[in-house]
Amino acid sequence: MKLKTEFNDREELIAYLQETFPDAAARSPEISETPGGRKAAEAALAQIKPERYAATRNHLNGAVTHLAAYLRHGVLTLAEARRAALLRGGKQAEKLVTEFAWRDYWQRVYAQIGDGIWKDRESLKTGWRPADYAEALPDDIAQGATGLRCMDGFADELRQTGYLHNHARMWMAAYVIHWRRIRWQAGAAWFLEHLLDGDPASNNLSWQWVASAFAVKPYYFNRDNLEQFTDGVYCRDCQHYRNGCPFEGTYDELQARLFPRADEGAFKR
Amino acid sequence: MNDVLVWLHGDCLNPHGPALQAHADAPRVFVFDEALLTQYRLSLKRLAFLYECLLEIPRVEIRKGDVAAELAAAAREYDCSRIVTAESVAPRFAQIRAALQREYDLTVEVVALEPFIELSSTEAARLDLKRFSRYWNPLKARALSLNQSFDW
Ligand SMILES: Cc1cc2nc3c(=O)[nH]c(=O)nc-3n(C[C@H](O)[C@H](O)[C@H](O)COP(=O)(O)OP(=O)(O)OC[C@H]3O[C@@H](n4cnc5c(N)ncnc54)[C@H](O)[C@@H]3O)c2cc1C
Repeated sequence: MKLKTEFNDREELIAYLQETFPDAAARSPEISETPGGRKAAEAALAQIKPERYAATRNHLNGAVTHLAAYLRHGVLTLAEARRAALLRGGKQAEKLVTEFAWRDYWQRVYAQIGDGIWKDRESLKTGWRPADYAEALPDDIAQGATGLRCMDGFADELRQTGYLHNHARMWMAAYVIHWRRIRWQAGAAWFLEHLLDGDPASNNLSWQWVASAFAVKPYYFNRDNLEQFTDGVYCRDCQHYRNGCPFEGTYDELQARLFPRADEGAFKR
Repeated sequence: MNDVLVWLHGDCLNPHGPALQAHADAPRVFVFDEALLTQYRLSLKRLAFLYECLLEIPRVEIRKGDVAAELAAAAREYDCSRIVTAESVAPRFAQIRAALQREYDLTVEVVALEPFIELSSTEAARLDLKRFSRYWNPLKARALSLNQSFDW
């Protein structure tokens, strides 16, 4: 069936998409402000700041590039992005080019294993068996109704914008897998529904990395870490801050709580 | 007679992509893969993003349905016997490509995209993908130099 290609404005396009894809519109009708297209991709590429990126990328307000959706759908190539970063940043572009390389790496793994990206690459190092993890993503997580300001904020942002900062993705994935003990595949599928850059390889293999199915140990974090890289904006008015924040504690304490049966050796850094 | 039909897919939505450059006058068709949309439950914002990327490609034709069947219908309509498209590592891409050849007797020619880093096929085969660091260490110096013909 042929679809329309002439629209007067974005509103008209959106109305047409709602009619043309009624299932998607019923499930998740949000539209992101991030525009698609080569012009927008070139504008984003013109904005990259390789040097500031290296210094601030882990911070939620850091100078990250927002190139992912354009790279994911081949609107831009990694080769173009790499050239632009080196021309702009020279030696200072090392960090950014290394992040681009992660995408190239995951794509190469995908070329090798195909749909194997949905299966554990290696056995888990968490001390839990695969059967210990729940199959489905609970509604409170997807709906942003856990009561945890941080996680609810990330879930809302994911749904509204189709984007999350890398650190927020890591925290959210760790919460889903390690705190709620849910199979990483359920979280991965949820991200793919919403992320504009949703890429089966980058996404699933990153979830596997957090889970420890593609890493020597699980990724987890504590409140100090989240607070530091968010300037405390979530913690500030979270009802759980003084009362049962599940992320509070030292790494050793959290390890004992989350992975009581894990092999100690796996956690030595 | 057109002969070539350019198949646009979600791994290369660049108006200056290599398949479009090589066949500037050819009809170009993108198909929303209905089975895939259902399987991945893609949200409307993802579809809108893709649609906006497509609308910047001159003379694009957009369809939805079964990808191989829709491409075959377009090829009949424009009297094309060859399909040219950009490479993709997705297993779904390989399946559709095989279906076009097997079920519709259409030749599919796959054009390479510019790689992140130029590698010979022996170098590519020697890459160790067990961990990122093993992949990256041997490539790093070359990736960080603007001159691609850096010798290692
Ligand atoms: C659980 C989880 C799921 C993820 N899912 C995806 C996904 O579906 N698609 C996706 O492109 N990335 C994914 N990532 C990787 C990373 O979070 C995003 O690429 C990045 O946050 C996108 O924002 P940006 O373009 O502003 O990134 P920047 O930090 O500005 O990075 C520049 C570019 O480098 C690439 N990149 C950076 N980090 C990574 C990485 N760890 N893996 C792969 N590529 C990277 C991206 O193409 C990105 O656009 C995921 C990470 C995690 C932890």
